[in-house]
Amino acid sequence: MVTEVAAFRGVGKSYGRVRAVDGLDLVLRPGETVALLGPNGAGKSTSLDLLLGLREPDQGDVTLFGGTPRSAIEAGRVGAMLQSGGLMTDVKVHELVRLACDVHPRGRSVTEVLTDAGITELAERRVDKLSGGQEQRVRFALAIAGDSDLIVLDEPTTGMDVNVRQAFWASMRAQADAGRTVLFATHYLEEADSIADRVLVLHRGRLIADGSSAEIKARAGARRIAFELHDGDGGDGGFAESVLRALPGVQSLDVTARVPGVRTVRIRTADADASVAALYGAGLYPRGLEVTGVGLEQAFLTITGELDRADAERTADDKESVR
Amino acid sequence: MTTLIRLEILRTLRNRRYLFFTVVYPAVLYVFFINAYGSADQAGGLPVKTYFMVSMATFGAVGAVLSGSAQRISLERKSGWVRQLRLTALPGRAYTIGKIAATAVTTLPAILVVFAVGLTQGVSLSLPQWIGLAVALWLGSFVFAALGVALGYAATPDAVQPIVMITYMAMALLGGTWFPVSGSLEKFARFDPVYLYNQLATFTRPGQSLDMVAVGGLAAFFAVFLVAAAALYRRDTRQA
Repeated sequence: MVTEVAAFRGVGKSYGRVRAVDGLDLVLRPGETVALLGPNGAGKSTSLDLLLGLREPDQGDVTLFGGTPRSAIEAGRVGAMLQSGGLMTDVKVHELVRLACDVHPRGRSVTEVLTDAGITELAERRVDKLSGGQEQRVRFALAIAGDSDLIVLDEPTTGMDVNVRQAFWASMRAQADAGRTVLFATHYLEEADSIADRVLVLHRGRLIADGSSAEIKARAGARRIAFELHDGDGGDGGFAESVLRALPGVQSLDVTARVPGVRTVRIRTADADASVAALYGAGLYPRGLEVTGVGLEQAFLTITGELDRADAERTADDKESVR
Repeated sequence: MTTLIRLEILRTLRNRRYLFFTVVYPAVLYVFFINAYGSADQAGGLPVKTYFMVSMATFGAVGAVLSGSAQRISLERKSGWVRQLRLTALPGRAYTIGKIAATAVTTLPAILVVFAVGLTQGVSLSLPQWIGLAVALWLGSFVFAALGVALGYAATPDAVQPIVMITYMAMALLGGTWFPVSGSLEKFARFDPVYLYNQLATFTRPGQSLDMVAVGGLAAFFAVFLVAAAALYRRDTRQA
């Protein structure tokens, strides 16, 4: 049994001087629901194109179910929905879906596919007369027209209303629950957070984070602690910022004093439990203590931001050494 | 693949604008031409009514395959439908075959409607001649279907419209579509596929058989267009 659905090994792809994908190593395992996150131009669509064999890598190799992407597609193991996937015009929705079901080696029944994609009521409509969100659902129907093992979706909910998006997520989850591996690119972090059990963060063509949504958040300093310290709360020796800074897990510290004698403290920490325990251990008496998680959005910005700063420093160092 | 071909044919027949320009328009032009020529009874060695019946049938057929394949392919490359199809188990050639099949089906009404009008206008041919002419013109249209595929893969939708129009009109002008070519023009016309296409009808003249030079010339053009279409298709695939 193949334990790999897809694998990228040292994959690189450039367009002229732009490095769209840079040394990508990645393995997708059966049954995973994986979100591919990244800002525009991070290389998400190029990576999916490479995965599906629509483009050839310059370096490295891409395999799907142990073979070439094309052979996997011909065996009916992959269903995909592209961001730029145009639809046939002058045909009705059910005719187009029937085409997709017919050409799939393990095609499903048209009625079933229409139901699963939530477009039964659109069946008789002309494809060229659909709204953006409806078109997306027809594209999704094409991706699930057969009994594929892997479903690839490139920004599937672009152009959908909030409530339609919720319904769409249910359709995506149903695919995952049926035991299929699902890989989707998105720039809606909420989408990744609520559906994916694994999140990949792509930035400038490189994979900079790979883990569960909780792990990604933890990596970015997952929790925020906020409290007030009144005069006298910090023991006899008065207020000492160094004590706070020395708490375990602390990544950033912010102290403001708007009212005399009352300080508001905000801490971002990688280990909230240890930080809070140590806070009391140091003899402090925090008031109105709150511990909150940062969203994936914040985590994402932190991670990509750190990387941008690191790149900027490296470039500066390079310039330095040239001199 | 049959589903794809069936759907391609269906959507082509559903497109009213397309049917108007390829079926109705040449038939109307035909009536106009034979009335304009009126008194003269010979054109290019054939009765006027026969000559323009053939030239308008080829006009419609060439228009049908050029716009049907070139414009659609170009548009669908841009819209991403071609990419979407590449994610199915269909072989790459299925799309092109579907396009050619669909246009081939629609050239038949373009030819037959003009023939029907010709019949009512008193064109007299024997039954084998009618059938032979229809088959010859229908088969000849495949040459232009190949050209249409090549143009569809060569140009973007913005560019393909004027390219198709210019190619079509230039070939028609020199090819005897609107007036019989004679004298020095004929020397150049021999390198025009539309001229050769129209020459397929000369077997209906008394005592003449099928113009094998025209058949050979069309076959050569067909080969050239096919090679070009295949090369452009591969280039397009590499660019995703």
